[in-house]
Amino acid sequence: MTSIVQQVALFQQGASIEEHTRAVLAETREINEHYHYFTALCEKEALARAQFLERLSAKEKASLSLLGVPLTVKDALCVKGIESTAGSRILKGYRPPFNATAVQKCIDAGAVVIGKTSQDEFGFGGFSVNVGLGYQVPKNPFDPDVSTGGSSGGCAGFTQKTTFPHLSLAESTGGSIVEPASFCGVAGLCPTYGRVSRYGLIDYANTLDKIGPMAKTIDEAALLMDVIAGPDEKDGTTLREPCTVQNAAGKGVKGLRIGVVKEAFGEATDSVVAETVWRSIHVLEAAGARYEECSLPLTGAYGVPTYYILATCEASTNLAKLCGLRYGMQEELSGTFNDYFTAVRSNNFGAEAKRRIMLGTFARMVGFRDAFYIKALKARQLITNEYLSLFKKYDVLITPTAPVLPPSFAHLKKLTPLQHYMLDILTVGPNLAGLPHLNVPVGMHNGLPVGALLMGTHCAESTLVQAGACLEKNSKNEKK
Amino acid sequence: MKPSTPSFTTDVVIGLEIHVQLDTKTKLFCSCPTKPVATKQNAEDVPNTRCCPTCLGFPGSKPVANKKAIDYALKLCLALGCSISETLVFSRKSYFYPDLSKNYQITQYELPLGTSGAVMLSTGKKIGLTRVHLEEDPASLVHPDSIERSAFVLIDYNRSGIPLCEIVTNPELASPEEARDFMKQLNAIFEYLDIFNADTCVVKADANISIKESGYIRSEVKNITGFKEIERALFYEVQRQNAAVAAGEKLVQDTRGWDAAKGITIRLRKKETEEDYGYILDTDIPVIDVTPEWIAQIKKQVPELPAEKVHKFVTTHKIPEEDALVLAQEKLLAEMFEKVAEKIDPILAAKWLRRELLRVMNMTKQTFKDLLIDEHHLIELLELVSTKQITDRTAQKMLEELIVKPFSPKAYVKEHGLGAVSDAGIIEQYCKEAIAENPGVLADYKSGNEKAFHFLVGVVMKKSKGKAVPNEVNSILKSLISH
Repeated sequence: MTSIVQQVALFQQGASIEEHTRAVLAETREINEHYHYFTALCEKEALARAQFLERLSAKEKASLSLLGVPLTVKDALCVKGIESTAGSRILKGYRPPFNATAVQKCIDAGAVVIGKTSQDEFGFGGFSVNVGLGYQVPKNPFDPDVSTGGSSGGCAGFTQKTTFPHLSLAESTGGSIVEPASFCGVAGLCPTYGRVSRYGLIDYANTLDKIGPMAKTIDEAALLMDVIAGPDEKDGTTLREPCTVQNAAGKGVKGLRIGVVKEAFGEATDSVVAETVWRSIHVLEAAGARYEECSLPLTGAYGVPTYYILATCEASTNLAKLCGLRYGMQEELSGTFNDYFTAVRSNNFGAEAKRRIMLGTFARMVGFRDAFYIKALKARQLITNEYLSLFKKYDVLITPTAPVLPPSFAHLKKLTPLQHYMLDILTVGPNLAGLPHLNVPVGMHNGLPVGALLMGTHCAESTLVQAGACLEKNSKNEKK
Repeated sequence: MKPSTPSFTTDVVIGLEIHVQLDTKTKLFCSCPTKPVATKQNAEDVPNTRCCPTCLGFPGSKPVANKKAIDYALKLCLALGCSISETLVFSRKSYFYPDLSKNYQITQYELPLGTSGAVMLSTGKKIGLTRVHLEEDPASLVHPDSIERSAFVLIDYNRSGIPLCEIVTNPELASPEEARDFMKQLNAIFEYLDIFNADTCVVKADANISIKESGYIRSEVKNITGFKEIERALFYEVQRQNAAVAAGEKLVQDTRGWDAAKGITIRLRKKETEEDYGYILDTDIPVIDVTPEWIAQIKKQVPELPAEKVHKFVTTHKIPEEDALVLAQEKLLAEMFEKVAEKIDPILAAKWLRRELLRVMNMTKQTFKDLLIDEHHLIELLELVSTKQITDRTAQKMLEELIVKPFSPKAYVKEHGLGAVSDAGIIEQYCKEAIAENPGVLADYKSGNEKAFHFLVGVVMKKSKGKAVPNEVNSILKSLISH
């Protein structure tokens, strides 16, 4: 298949962007009909954009690294003039007057936004089954009865399914990039917190949200990463450090020190998943890396509860503005403003959103605040320290991305909310610590993909790309 | 945060929470202007024209802290003698109200920028400050008709995100008068620091008031706008509580609103417990280190403050404290006094600036900012006075004209022949004439009527066209009469 770089080169040499975009849109419509990867398609805007790009001079085209590349954007990111709802009915009709910085950077690099992809409502879930009221659940490209993972399920599924070169902007709060990437067998890179501006991202939890690339290959994810990273005066939490990960892919892994987190290979993890990931560790070893087993006891024990308290506390304040007064859905006016707010929320938030709002509100109220919110802040610091002490010894930590194979919808129905939350156990740690992490597809089992999770210290994305590319190259045969 | 109830020693106990609008160009968390922008179509402020996704709280927008606002707040904290927090963190205070775009307000909670400062009243009593912190203003609600009668409410977000500094006092004010004095001192400090513009910025207060007779059951009066209103509202509220207790009513802790038009407080809701705002950190704004270097840099910008000026005026310029207090109240007046006092006897300068200049400015409704004359005019004028080249009366009249359209006092005196008459010969001549022309009055005086003497002085002054030096007139007249 043509790579992004090859496709861009074709456009720069004069291949028709408009024609290609028409074909892309036709295929997208067809895929979406069966797999429900989109909350909104923007065909008209995409075509207009393609026509605009088509008319640029050869010199102008030569400077655009994403010239004509179809881009999909998780619904939580604002795209100017395109309905952006974070997958929630309560934001139906909200057309942001501005682009998220990450989106703007892609557009400035020549990308063509073709649509907003489906997700768990506001990112509340790991399986894309908590889509907002009135939205359709996306289906796994390998098996329509299986979950894409979440919450960036639409991004992951579509990235796998397309036959044309394509990039996707995903977002992670507790694992929402790597986990769906794993379930759909694509590359997903969740960067260091602050690497990519959150301006224009409809917040889930401010200290955890990260925008990152999804692509068919590690190389292409790295390409997109370099486009979207960098400081932004509109987001005070962005980092100043320059980000160049693109060229790391070919570096090899000779001498790389790898820590294998042993808790992640315990009883709670499917043996086929564990075996597949262990095989990939040996692949890295064969390529010249050294590995050692190590341990993250605090993260294993407290990661999930710490994550759920902090994430829901922050989310409950972020969602407070959605009350039918200014943005999105409105209801018929009646009663006091409190009655009205309540009606709008009751009718338009999904069950999981309500659950998390309640949980978060509870955990920050007087009397509980010290016991939950403040304590979780402290636990988070300990977890971060635990990781950082391991990174003194290792360049990369490795675990499976998910403890299980992509689950079927029928199976997910049987799980309680708590069981759902526990499936995030391998991904919440690096998210709490703000560490970059990467999903690498490393094998298939029963026709479903298995992913390895590589984690690095802050701003070490290039090391992950380096290890990931090596793994990807050498695992290729297993994928078939 | 309210301080815990201490043991009270005064009959009336008042605590204030003052919100002062900082005079920055842009809002606290975005670059929208804080003041109306005149356009071709409109010279006045048009609702919802100074807004962006951030101050409207649009999903996806992010706040970015305005360094200037923090500088101003820091300046205020330093001037109030506060301990400064090493880090600046913002929190989200969640509550639902239509004027709040995000349904939470970004404010400071755990670590206020300043703690435990103080303001000294003119009596020398110190009022302790619990905390000084930064926060954003909500939008304003506009009722097309009265609050009760309007079928709907309009929201103007131009105000949303304006930087405010909140100053919370200990409950140590013992009367509305003390509260007024407190506000006066605080206002002088704002003005000295150049962080508050009296023409365009607003001061608002919430006041907690309790009286001994009720067992210090507290009422909170919300949203009192302006310095004068604060004292009025407090005065009303003390009287209301006294009257209620006298009538045998049992007071309950409540929250009240101030109706400035009617001059009364109205009960808003029964206040039982502290509302629960579910504070969490607002981590969109990174933790800001308030470094010693930053503090030192701001400290350099804090000028000599009113209290220090008073001290200096009394000890080095040896002027009465009463005069010093008035002069120090206004930064520009104090500065002018200092310049004038370099050339003129400070006691004379103090008397003239404090009494005459203020009297004349009051007459013409001028403020120091739009004052046309400067210290050179006053020095020249007071030189003429101190060397007795003109009489006080002439000087007073000249000042009245000077302030409307400045001129050189010395040239003016020459031009208009206003020089004081202190030549004893001429004055004696006038005195003799006055006595000769009013024999009846002289008789009156001799029979013990003091007023008759003043009448004669008046005649002499009239003859000299106000230029005779009054002391000279007195003594010459007295010696002539007693002969």
